[in-house]
Amino acid sequence: MLGDLKTIPLDWYILLSSILFCIGVMGVLFRRNAIIIFMSIELMLNAVNLLLVAFSAYHNDAKGQVFVFFTMAVAAAEIAVGLAILVVVYRNTKSTDIDVLNRLKG
Amino acid sequence: MNTLIILSALGIIALFAEIFRFRKALFPLILLGLGGAFFFTAKEYNHPQIFLGMMNFDNYAVIFSCAILIIAFLWFMMAKNYFLQETSVTDHFALILFSLVGAVVMVSFSNLTMLFLGIEILSVSVYVLAASDKSNVMSNESGFKYFLMGSFATGFLLFGITLIYGITGSFDLASIHTQVAANHDSGLVIAGILLLMIGLAFKSSLAPFHFWAPDVYEGAPTTVTTYMATVVKTAAFAAFFRLFSTCFAGVTGHWTDVLWWMVVLTLFVGNVSAVRQKSVKRLLAYSSVAHAGYIAIAVVSMGAASTSAILYYTFTYSISSISAFTILFIVSRHKGSKDISAFEGMSKANPLLSFAMTVAMLSLAGIPPTAGFFAKYYVFLTAINAGNTLLVLIAVIAALVGIYYYFRVIIAIYFKPEQQLVPIKVGPLHRTVLIITTILTLLFGLFPNLILGWI
Amino acid sequence: MTVYLFIILGVFAILSALMVVFTKNPIHSILYLVLTFFAIAGEYVLLNAQFLAIVNIIVYAGAIMVLFLFVVMLLNLNKETEPHKSILRQLIAVIAAGILLIVLVGSLKGADTMTIKPFAQNTGYIENLGQVLFKDFLLPFEVSAILFLAAMVGAVMLGKKDIK
Repeated sequence: MLGDLKTIPLDWYILLSSILFCIGVMGVLFRRNAIIIFMSIELMLNAVNLLLVAFSAYHNDAKGQVFVFFTMAVAAAEIAVGLAILVVVYRNTKSTDIDVLNRLKG
Repeated sequence: MNTLIILSALGIIALFAEIFRFRKALFPLILLGLGGAFFFTAKEYNHPQIFLGMMNFDNYAVIFSCAILIIAFLWFMMAKNYFLQETSVTDHFALILFSLVGAVVMVSFSNLTMLFLGIEILSVSVYVLAASDKSNVMSNESGFKYFLMGSFATGFLLFGITLIYGITGSFDLASIHTQVAANHDSGLVIAGILLLMIGLAFKSSLAPFHFWAPDVYEGAPTTVTTYMATVVKTAAFAAFFRLFSTCFAGVTGHWTDVLWWMVVLTLFVGNVSAVRQKSVKRLLAYSSVAHAGYIAIAVVSMGAASTSAILYYTFTYSISSISAFTILFIVSRHKGSKDISAFEGMSKANPLLSFAMTVAMLSLAGIPPTAGFFAKYYVFLTAINAGNTLLVLIAVIAALVGIYYYFRVIIAIYFKPEQQLVPIKVGPLHRTVLIITTILTLLFGLFPNLILGWI
Repeated sequence: MTVYLFIILGVFAILSALMVVFTKNPIHSILYLVLTFFAIAGEYVLLNAQFLAIVNIIVYAGAIMVLFLFVVMLLNLNKETEPHKSILRQLIAVIAAGILLIVLVGSLKGADTMTIKPFAQNTGYIENLGQVLFKDFLLPFEVSAILFLAAMVGAVMLGKKDIK
């Protein structure tokens, strides 16, 4: 099954991850709920991972796949910190709606 | 490499300080450690070393690491008293030390993996620090916005790195340079460079990706704001320039036009918005955005003199900023307000504070004989050498607008009727910081070659 | 065969990603995101990156999504309330993402022309990845330890109660 990998054009992978990336961007701009914005950012990172793996396979070079480890590590660290900040915000405002956070203006 | 090891070890020692109860000894230990790190970094000057093909400790890296360590040293002296009131002082110091590791990685990377990790180490620590005043909703909001915008920008940065990897098949800067030159008209290269630029513009607060900066700077605790405006900004621009000068100098046609417009927009937005501000903290935040625009002029007009111009600008800007933010911190704690009106008529009772603030404001505005004048001068010189005369013209007009709002603070200090003649208490550490920064600002203004000769 | 699998998994990933964005209930969003991750892991298998496929499921679907679920339930956010609705902003979001997509796809077309090396079976095998990770990428591997330490200290610092 895997032998005929190159029957799929690389363009298709680029198209797929571009679409996923843009859905992530849209989610960040579209939703006001912080949790869902976080998830959209995760989606963006996953789209990038997919593209990295595709390039790595087509270049026949493992470096791209190793880079995916690092993006996963960073995503995990970011989410841990982000959710901790979110919990702190929630403790004070009782909301995760980012429009509630509008004290800083000017 | 020694720098990284010392800084990481210091961070871990800071964590142990809480367990083994030597919190009192921690602060001198950190200053000593930063001094040691500075010594070992400076020793590598003119001895470029490459570590595992990932980090290239050339003179650029050494000089910027040294600059960052000096700024961090001053920052610790300024911030000590603030964090001593906190219960988790050791955590704060550990986070700052870890973020310094990230900053050093950002100025010395020779592989995109290291750039990415460096940016993330720096950002993750600063997200937490911005939100560290837990009971204050403003601080929470600031950390939260910083986190959202920062990780959004990380997405763009990663997409750019991926596209560059796709066309070049490598994360190494040297091979990217040759491969990009060979495939310079590929769509992947153009899109990759632009996405990388968007990601880095977010981190260094260039318009139109600056909108988080004023809110985050205002909401974060003043000491953390100082850190963001100085160390983070220096590291961000050093990384920006290192990446673009080593990898994409051969394809300037793809990105200089976009960056040109971003610079113009940054100068306009930063300076015009700063004029309207009542709060000095927010004014300094917008001024920080505007200064990012001036520094980026040297990136747009990439040439032989750009490196020293960026070094001189970021270093002197950081020193003046530390001075200004320290005074803001002292005054706002005394008066309970960060508005310009809090500064009114403080000259009689507080000559040192008033003089230091005046020098800092003059330097930020770019008036001789302070260092800020030569900072702008060298940046403009690179632009003229590259033929960007129009950009210089716009920047000069922006600088004139800048003079207006910086002088509002000076006028408030000297020419408004005094409200109270009580001298504001300044601790010995803060006094030392102010004296050092003021002397350095004047010294570098009179002898700019003290910095310029190194690169 | 591979082509059909690619298309099925791709469409599946896109649809569930859209559902992540448009579902009102955060819990449903999280579950759709897990589905997306499974679809992406399927694509990894097609690309002969089996190890990453497994890691993707363990790390993302297993660890990160559980963390999300945990926070949503801890804060009791599984309500379908989203008070501030602005049609204009949603329209702008869709248009901006659409423009970005068109620009990306337009500029990335023709990547096939770049030199593609002959296919090797073992690129994504665990042995090969380990060699690269612990030889070429040793320094980033060590530096990422600092990243985790910073994230850990930060999360604990924010989470703990101050004892005065």
